[in-house]
Amino acid sequence: MRAATKILVGMMASGMALAACAGGETPAATSTAPAMAGGSTSGTPCTGAIGVMAPITGGAAAIGGEQLNFAKLAVSDYNAKNGTNFSIVEGDTQLDAGQASTVAPQLVSNQAVIGVVGPAGSQEVESVGPAFADAKMAFVSPSATRTSLTSGAFPTFARVIPTDDVQGPTDADFMVSKLGAKKVVIVEEKTSYGAGLSSAVEKALKEKGVDVKRIQVSQKQPDYSSVVALVDADTSVVFATFQIAANTKALANTLQQQSKKAVVFGSDGSFSADFDVPGQYVSSFAPDIKGIPSSKAVADAYTAKYGEFGTFGPPTYVATQVIMTAAAKDCTGTADRAKTSSNVLGVSIPDSILGQPITFTDKGDVKDAKFFIFKIGDDRKPALVN
Amino acid sequence: MELFVQQLVNGLTLGGVYALIALGYTLIYGVLQLLNFAHGEVYMVGAFTGFFVMVGLGGPGKPIVPVWLMIVAMFLAAMVVSGLLGVGIERFAYRPLRESTRIAPLISALGVSLFLQNAVLLLFGSRVRSYDTPRYWSGAGPQVAGVQVNPVRILVLVLAIILMVGLTRLVEKTAFGRGMRAVAYDRDAAVMMGIDVNKVIVLVFFVASALAGAAGVMVGLVFFNVNNYMGFLAGLKGFTAAVVGGIGSIPGAMLGGLLIGLIESFTTAYVSANFASVLSFLVLILVMLLKPRGLLGTRAIVKV
Repeated sequence: MRAATKILVGMMASGMALAACAGGETPAATSTAPAMAGGSTSGTPCTGAIGVMAPITGGAAAIGGEQLNFAKLAVSDYNAKNGTNFSIVEGDTQLDAGQASTVAPQLVSNQAVIGVVGPAGSQEVESVGPAFADAKMAFVSPSATRTSLTSGAFPTFARVIPTDDVQGPTDADFMVSKLGAKKVVIVEEKTSYGAGLSSAVEKALKEKGVDVKRIQVSQKQPDYSSVVALVDADTSVVFATFQIAANTKALANTLQQQSKKAVVFGSDGSFSADFDVPGQYVSSFAPDIKGIPSSKAVADAYTAKYGEFGTFGPPTYVATQVIMTAAAKDCTGTADRAKTSSNVLGVSIPDSILGQPITFTDKGDVKDAKFFIFKIGDDRKPALVN
Repeated sequence: MELFVQQLVNGLTLGGVYALIALGYTLIYGVLQLLNFAHGEVYMVGAFTGFFVMVGLGGPGKPIVPVWLMIVAMFLAAMVVSGLLGVGIERFAYRPLRESTRIAPLISALGVSLFLQNAVLLLFGSRVRSYDTPRYWSGAGPQVAGVQVNPVRILVLVLAIILMVGLTRLVEKTAFGRGMRAVAYDRDAAVMMGIDVNKVIVLVFFVASALAGAAGVMVGLVFFNVNNYMGFLAGLKGFTAAVVGGIGSIPGAMLGGLLIGLIESFTTAYVSANFASVLSFLVLILVMLLKPRGLLGTRAIVKV
């Protein structure tokens, strides 16, 4: 029986390994190339494929789908306006660093790919950064906010959204000045994103004299009841650095179940229709572009074709524009990967759909970017409050 | 003290769910000596069934029937669908392999597990769905030692106890239970005594899977989120509970489930959430080393 037990335990381990390997979907590499005729500096249309790394499936699929569709819309609009012939190659990362690191070599080995939009998460950027640096592949993230990503480790990386060093103080200011927070619990998702942002917010709150408790949880945590039990009755805000909005909602619902008065304040990763508990707060690196007159055409076009959207899509539109603009500069037929990479930081989009001009610092951060704070109303939709 | 009581309630709720999953593992192992690794996915299908029944009855915002009726319908549908799924799995994935080597049905079980995960992904997408329980059931529960216990947790705990007691009675007091025990003890002798072994096995799969379906709805009601990968970790925890309690032992599965739930809950509170699963599996390893048959497992007598 002892031998049988060992076999059973061995089988269990094998099963776990097999399931872990097969649990994810093999990333697709499908091309949706629009066949547009157009011109470039040589008269032939500038051609190239743009990799889009996003969580197309998995728990953050709502975000990934929106990012992918906005990238498609950007390519379609850009081709139509400039006579170029850019196309998209999809890479599904499932918001997982390991999965992202298997998608990156596929994009690198595809010679048609001249730049990448994404990946979405900071931990994914860290996992693909070295491969893209070696390949001189530009990659522009529409949502990775960890401050250290632009410290120089990944020379071909840029982003079109602000960093956690902006988000941390913005959110902390709001918690203290508008919500009167004196005691805050930070529930940190154990990812690179969660760790960086939690530290930034904790630092900003402590500087304001707020009593801060920090609790780590796994992204796959199914049950928040034991975590919520650690939230004292006089805690006014629970700040969640989650990347799956449904988890933030579960946290808010569990607080209500245990009759805790604290409101949940979700970081940018929670900005999705899946987090819709009235009275809670969420921050975002992008405004609601439906309220920006100059962005109305893009917003309407997206809604007509794909339906409603949140704040993860519009920065993806801009990131795709950045890659295409860099690729189209001095393009003579086929865009060049290395030239695209060296052109990225020089790109300027004065009238971006985010309602602010896009220009880059020499580190790859967008200049003068800021965070926005929303409150979820009784209609379960976020309304801009700061 | 309040924290202790709160974590006790949390641990018992979680443990009740694990116990129901563990009972499924242990029932099937008892009659077939098969580790049904697809059991976690049966639980996941139960959770999805409950969710879609809720949506079909108006959704969390506007239920078209009284809430109690909606919840009853969610449980019944999940138990029936999961039960039938279990019967289907037995018929097509395990029965053809019943006379083959022991490794064959194990591989088949893993295949069924992956098939179900991906079938649900294809059918319903990968989006995490929420039962959103507070929207239709938000009443305050009774105070216990200064802690307000949520009524949903009370329901889940009471229902888990009812199902466990019901199962024990079923096994001990009914003809089906006697048949099940006979098949578990000696399948060939059971055939000679006129017991329809296939029928018993089918019923065991139905009951075990129905319990998993009920556990799926319980998790949805208490922890809210359901997705196509939720069965893997829950199945693993249920399996751990079954082995810790003594696989094949019904009281052992209950004890193991409650123990794992309490360990996770108290570890989160007094050590760190990071170590909750680590300690559960550490207990599994310790039990394997010190008491390989589990806490309530019985010594097998083998004729030599």
